[in-house]
Amino acid sequence: MGRYVLRRLLQMIPVFIGATLLIFLMVNVMGDPVAGLCGERACDPATAAALRREFGLDKPLWQQYLTYMAKVFTGDFGTAFNGQPVTELMATAFPVTVRLTVVAIVFEIVIGVTLGVVTGLKRGRPADTAVLLATLVVISVPTFVTGLMLQLLLGIKWHWIRPSVRYGTLDELIVPGLVLASVSLAYVTRLTRTSIAENKRSDYVRTAIAKGLPRHRVITRHLLRNSLIPVVTFIGTDIGALMGGAIVTERIFNIHGVGYQLYQGILRQNTQTVVGFVTVLVLVFLVANLLVDLLYAVLDPRIRYA
Amino acid sequence: MRDQPQQPEGAIAGTGMGGAMDLGASEAVTLERTPGGPAGTGPAGRPRSLWSDAWRDLRRNPVFLLSALVILFLVFISLWPSAIASGSPLTCDLAKAQDGAAPGAPFGYDGQGCNVYTRTVYGARASVTVGLCATLGVALLGSVLGGLAGYFGGVWDSVLSRVTDIFFAIPVVLGGLVLLSVVTSNTVWPVVGFMVLLGWPQISRIARGAVITAKQNDYVQAARALGASDSRILLRHIAPNAVAPVIVVATIALGTYIALEATLSYLGVGLKPPSVSWGIDISAASPYIRNAPHALLWPAGALALTVLAFIMLGDAVRDALDPKLR
Amino acid sequence: MLLDVRDLHVEFRTRDGVAHAVNGVNFAVDAGETLAVLGESGSGKSVTAQAVMGILDVPPGRITAGRILFRGQDLLKLREQERRRVRGAGIAMIFQDALSALNPVLSVGDQLGEMFVVHRGMSRKDARARAVDLMDRVRIPAAAQRVRDYPHQFSGGMRQRIMIAMALSLEPALIIADEPTTALDVTVQAQVMELLAELQREYRMGLILITHDLGVVADVADRIAVMYAGKIVESAPVRDLYKAPAHPYTRGLLDSVPRLDRKGQELYAIKGLPPNLMRVPPGCSFHPRCPMAQDVCRTDEPPLYPVSDGRGSACHFWRECLHGPDH
Repeated sequence: MGRYVLRRLLQMIPVFIGATLLIFLMVNVMGDPVAGLCGERACDPATAAALRREFGLDKPLWQQYLTYMAKVFTGDFGTAFNGQPVTELMATAFPVTVRLTVVAIVFEIVIGVTLGVVTGLKRGRPADTAVLLATLVVISVPTFVTGLMLQLLLGIKWHWIRPSVRYGTLDELIVPGLVLASVSLAYVTRLTRTSIAENKRSDYVRTAIAKGLPRHRVITRHLLRNSLIPVVTFIGTDIGALMGGAIVTERIFNIHGVGYQLYQGILRQNTQTVVGFVTVLVLVFLVANLLVDLLYAVLDPRIRYA
Repeated sequence: MRDQPQQPEGAIAGTGMGGAMDLGASEAVTLERTPGGPAGTGPAGRPRSLWSDAWRDLRRNPVFLLSALVILFLVFISLWPSAIASGSPLTCDLAKAQDGAAPGAPFGYDGQGCNVYTRTVYGARASVTVGLCATLGVALLGSVLGGLAGYFGGVWDSVLSRVTDIFFAIPVVLGGLVLLSVVTSNTVWPVVGFMVLLGWPQISRIARGAVITAKQNDYVQAARALGASDSRILLRHIAPNAVAPVIVVATIALGTYIALEATLSYLGVGLKPPSVSWGIDISAASPYIRNAPHALLWPAGALALTVLAFIMLGDAVRDALDPKLR
Repeated sequence: MLLDVRDLHVEFRTRDGVAHAVNGVNFAVDAGETLAVLGESGSGKSVTAQAVMGILDVPPGRITAGRILFRGQDLLKLREQERRRVRGAGIAMIFQDALSALNPVLSVGDQLGEMFVVHRGMSRKDARARAVDLMDRVRIPAAAQRVRDYPHQFSGGMRQRIMIAMALSLEPALIIADEPTTALDVTVQAQVMELLAELQREYRMGLILITHDLGVVADVADRIAVMYAGKIVESAPVRDLYKAPAHPYTRGLLDSVPRLDRKGQELYAIKGLPPNLMRVPPGCSFHPRCPMAQDVCRTDEPPLYPVSDGRGSACHFWRECLHGPDH
């Protein structure tokens, strides 16, 4: 087990470097990092040159990357367009997005897994077909359309919620969380359904029935435990994707989270904000994946002792 | 002895919108091709090949027929939009802004007084073009890189695996914002290029797995023992057997690329006016959502229907091509 | 009579049609007796076992007629709740492939102990102690340590011993073993079979041994029922059957076993394939493959003719077969 963890940790390093380098290159090659620093006006050449020197932008890119990463590891993510340190922006933005992601994950687990288990057990019945169709529709409608529709219906027509989020508290984030979760929710439902339906026919479930176990015990102890392993993997991997994908949801509901700050950073071509936030998101993605792998090993002894 | 028949699974593989384009891997499509004959059986193979069996299944599948019909119609209106819509999508009359249905404008008018019906019809072209081109690019790049890595293995395979890991770690919409925010060109090509750049790892993974599976077939070993060259083995023996899973994932991905184009256009970094695209229209209609929801609902409905058609098509093809589910 | 199965019919409804897997099977097992059910795959032997056990997949499977009397009580008339109590405690089952039949994510101790927790209401700790006892009984070395291990950590033979221990745990009156040694190495097969036979004698259990392996049958069975296309075609005490089969199918099976005293001769093989259960041939279902078939076999379905006391054959020409040239 220890060797396994170590190997996974070592594998993370090149991926982390590669992903952050890629984003660093994308931001620097595509945009002019100085352009955003003089506010709305274009910088005059002398100021621009001075700024370049100040930020070390006259050096080769790989050197800039190394300097940047060295600073990041000491906790210095640079300065945002409004003069605030990027870390301060993160401190206000990440809690909101983390809450939003948590709401989304809870929806995936509660609704997705439940629907998947029920339909997997009742395969071929009308309820199963209806849920399957519904998941297809949810997958087909892009998140931003789902979001706008729910905002229109619940926020504007029926006044159940405020159309835009003000403080980012959990209760305000319920509908946005559902929107963020929607596509993954449909995937979780389908994945759980397939997994349950497959394992239902497995030999060890037959054994459990032959042992004379009550139905609920066969389902919870033997069927669910095995069927949920791939689902847990999916949901874990989804954490990183949800946080990175929250950008659309946050824009629709005007949530001032990671997506909002990134969007602002990109609009104002503020390199440090963008690279900083993306670096943290990549790290979250990698750590979530690592945790999923470890969890997998805990849930499935065949991996643990391999 | 198991007497119960196997029923096809309803699960689908696809790419998600939220994050990395790797959702497909979670329900990974691992189509194991039934070993064909020693002389590579191509798509137009013998009477009882996988492909003819699949085609026989598909012809009788209502889901396939319906989605194929929708897609044919979409292709038709993207080629000849004027056949069913009169007027230009760019001729707008502010006096009619937010009006409801009227003769010649069954879907009403949007916030700028443009004919929503005409714009929705003309919007199909952008979506279909982006979807087809991106899928083609992703499928070509992904299967060549993945296929070669899977076939030759070794260092290149390890390097490619790490590189795909890197791409999966970058959230798609975010990458799109960063890369496309500085693009000034108002054609579909930057969007297509971006999708190919971030989308190929998904196909590459699938193709790599399929090639590794096909490589282990006895007839490939036999061909190698008989001294066939690498290129001959790859093209004649492996490619025909590895192509099925790539086709399935690519079809489903096509739908999600269309959705991605709309999302990027909604965020203002995809296509930009005066291009006509469903994403642009949805974005433009969202401020008027209270008074003129129809301007949002029609393009959104068209978008959803298109994505649905491609996903269902891919789903049906997958069921037909997967011999295990027969 | 411990178990008495009367006129059992099972069918499977599939997309392609209705498969008649079991078509009027009758047999009985007494306490302490071993009945071997012999047949090719598709003969309905496993389906019969599943029907008795109550673990048939419904749908597509369906019991359309018959009675399954266990200690005089018709199991098919019981409510699911009562039926469940019979499973494991009254009738237990041993499956063919222990690796897939044991739950991969639970330790063997949990899986063995579960029987005592559910059926006897024991605490987990007591159940664990009983699990160790059981593993000792089936001679798994270092049972106290290995009780925490998972199925994949055991060898094939050891895993099958755990299956046997699980079936024995509540000392059931009847055990159904479905090809218990097929998945094992030949050397291990004998050990496992011996253990099963020994424990059966000790507990005086009825044993239904489902197999296609004539070698296994000869050593342990008291009586044999040969199944073909969902019917019992011959039922006889094991010695009588081996001495002189009264059905051409049984004879075909016996002749296709390699024998040392016939070394060098060509091995006999029954021609043709087992019938499609959706289109079972009319008359005697074996007639298309039978070397003795006459016109009457194509039209008239043979009943189980009494051959001698406790012996029957479903062949119009059982006399000719019994006194055939070879025997």
